[in-house]
Amino acid sequence: MQIQSMHFKARVTDKLADSVLQDNLRKTKSKFVGKRAQAIQELPEFEATREAARAIRDRVLNDLDHWLLAFEQEASRRGATVLWARDGDEVCRLVLEIAARHDCRKVVKSKSMLSEESGLNQALEAAGVVPVETDLGEYILQLNDNEAPSHIIAPVFHKSKEEVSELFARRHGTPRKTDITALAREAREQLRPQFLSADMGISGGNFLIAETGSVALVTNEGNGRMCTTVPRVHVAITGVEKIVPTLEDFATLMRLLPRSATGQSISNYVSLLTGTRGEQESDGARHMYFILVDAGRVDLVHGEFQEMLRCIRCGACMNHCPVYQTVGGHAYGWVYPGPMGSVLTPLFQGLERAIDLPNAATMCNQCGVVCPVKIPLPDLLRKLRTKQIELKLRPWSERMAIRLWAWVAARPALYAWLAARGARYLKWLAGERAYIDMLGIAPGWTSTRAFPAPQGKTFRELHAEQAKAATRGAHH
Amino acid sequence: MSIQDSRADMLARMRSRLGRNAAQDAEAAERVAAALRAPVPAPRPPLPADLTACFIERALSMQSTVARISVMHEVPQACADYLARTCLPPTAVVWPQIAALDWAGAGIEVVARAAQGEDLTGITGSFCALAETGTLVLCSGPDSPATVSLLPETHIAIVDASRILAGMEEAFALLRREAGGVPRSLNFVSGPSRTGDIEQTIVLGAHGPSRVHLVVVG
Ligand code: SF4
Repeated sequence: MQIQSMHFKARVTDKLADSVLQDNLRKTKSKFVGKRAQAIQELPEFEATREAARAIRDRVLNDLDHWLLAFEQEASRRGATVLWARDGDEVCRLVLEIAARHDCRKVVKSKSMLSEESGLNQALEAAGVVPVETDLGEYILQLNDNEAPSHIIAPVFHKSKEEVSELFARRHGTPRKTDITALAREAREQLRPQFLSADMGISGGNFLIAETGSVALVTNEGNGRMCTTVPRVHVAITGVEKIVPTLEDFATLMRLLPRSATGQSISNYVSLLTGTRGEQESDGARHMYFILVDAGRVDLVHGEFQEMLRCIRCGACMNHCPVYQTVGGHAYGWVYPGPMGSVLTPLFQGLERAIDLPNAATMCNQCGVVCPVKIPLPDLLRKLRTKQIELKLRPWSERMAIRLWAWVAARPALYAWLAARGARYLKWLAGERAYIDMLGIAPGWTSTRAFPAPQGKTFRELHAEQAKAATRGAHH
Repeated sequence: MSIQDSRADMLARMRSRLGRNAAQDAEAAERVAAALRAPVPAPRPPLPADLTACFIERALSMQSTVARISVMHEVPQACADYLARTCLPPTAVVWPQIAALDWAGAGIEVVARAAQGEDLTGITGSFCALAETGTLVLCSGPDSPATVSLLPETHIAIVDASRILAGMEEAFALLRREAGGVPRSLNFVSGPSRTGDIEQTIVLGAHGPSRVHLVVVG
């Protein structure tokens, strides 16, 4: 997918002004949050399980090369072919080679963010292979001229049922449906023949299990099962970091993933797929391929951003992010939105191409609190901000201002004197009123809101008075 | 660089980033082998006293329907009752594994094979079931094709009450013991297929069955 993250600010302005989007965001905003909170109540061991999950992910990342080899050995023993790709172009090349080898004309796909990263659908189309997205959300997006997803687990988070209904009527030539059940039914009927006639199924992978050489797919719709059961060929595309050691470790992570993602205690279908159809079997893929993808991940191993590789793509961080909930996923301009996207996009695509994303956070740490694998997202964002300054990627005036502030902050007496003067100046600026409409030195702050005028004394003055009063009290 | 080199290149970069010497590399290999031999224990939710009752309660909350009978030979009649109640024709595709039950005696016409697009009802057994989440555990195999629980709009599954286990960990242990590992396709099924993609409103019946009926035996 072509990155647009450098246009974050402009896109935010558009998204804030888009009243349909704002309505849709408001409507769905609290649904995930409420359900997650409930689902977590059912699991009293939630915090301990979170800590165990963090440890599982770290155990893999600290010896990632050996875990990948263990996975590869077991997957091959079970009859799958394990391929490796350094970037999205290699992913596309490999998939096209597999399609050519097995004479595949039509591909059904269950959701894969790596396929979005790689622009796989465009590559398939260019080679004359028809890709059909089968996750309802992804299907809607493909139907709407390959629109980009706005959420990692709810790709059409930004759309209302009326918009979907309009789109289906237009593209399927069917009467308009008013309820969601009927829309889901229509998609099922459209997609059923596609599943039955496809030559290849492409899936992502929620996890790869080293012990058994399996890929784990977690879905509610059953499209993941369809894509991996009906067609002759199954290709699973995942990042190298998706390994978990054992089946037991997988069970632990599964207590967290659905709860954090959709607030379910379990998703409807959890499938482990291992190797190819046996001699006596009457269904299942005859050829199975894994594509293990780098695309920026290897460079994070054993570095200051390794913690980001723990991510299990649950989406909780964006569901709880005030910025995401206000601007929506498209503003972020690439595959991954929200706090995890603000960390991953600069790391995978280059800080200079996503210059505003590390700053698109209020540092409220909601994301850090809900992340099931305890990724300290605000810390990682702060590290990226530091890098921006070091690499001189932020404007000169901003860097100078920060330097000046640091210099003053290291001198308490000067800081106190300036703070008191500053407060008094602002009070004078406000005059009789409690608000300042225009700040001369930083007009941006007051372009859409008023700045509250300081009231009464400064914190330091109050503190000094109280300390004095306390000493006096002690003397009496 | 050719694609064959990608593997070598990716592994080499990982190794150099991890910065191990030969001895440390051997230790890492041993750590991996040890973790594979003996899984690291993790916290578990407390076990319910009555696994069957818990299984049924959770299965209902995942929108499965449940019938409880006492012996295996009552299964065909229980299925016939359900089909009649749901206004479905008395025909089904079944796992070869359960083809020997007296389906004709209950008036159900069955074929034992993998399912096809037009099959309306699929009847399967189950490897075991999980109380923690109300989940069926299905293993693919020559006698238990995966499509039977997937393509038909209605899925009926037989659950042996003595094989209702606490959670996934017990199912994995049983698989290792009885089958020597995981089958090609291992499915944990919890209720009918559903989607929440439009306005985060859950509706039943996406690509898989829109009805899941469990016949618990024992
Ligand atoms: S960063 Fe954490 S909360 Fe966000 S998607 Fe990844 S695992 Fe989920």
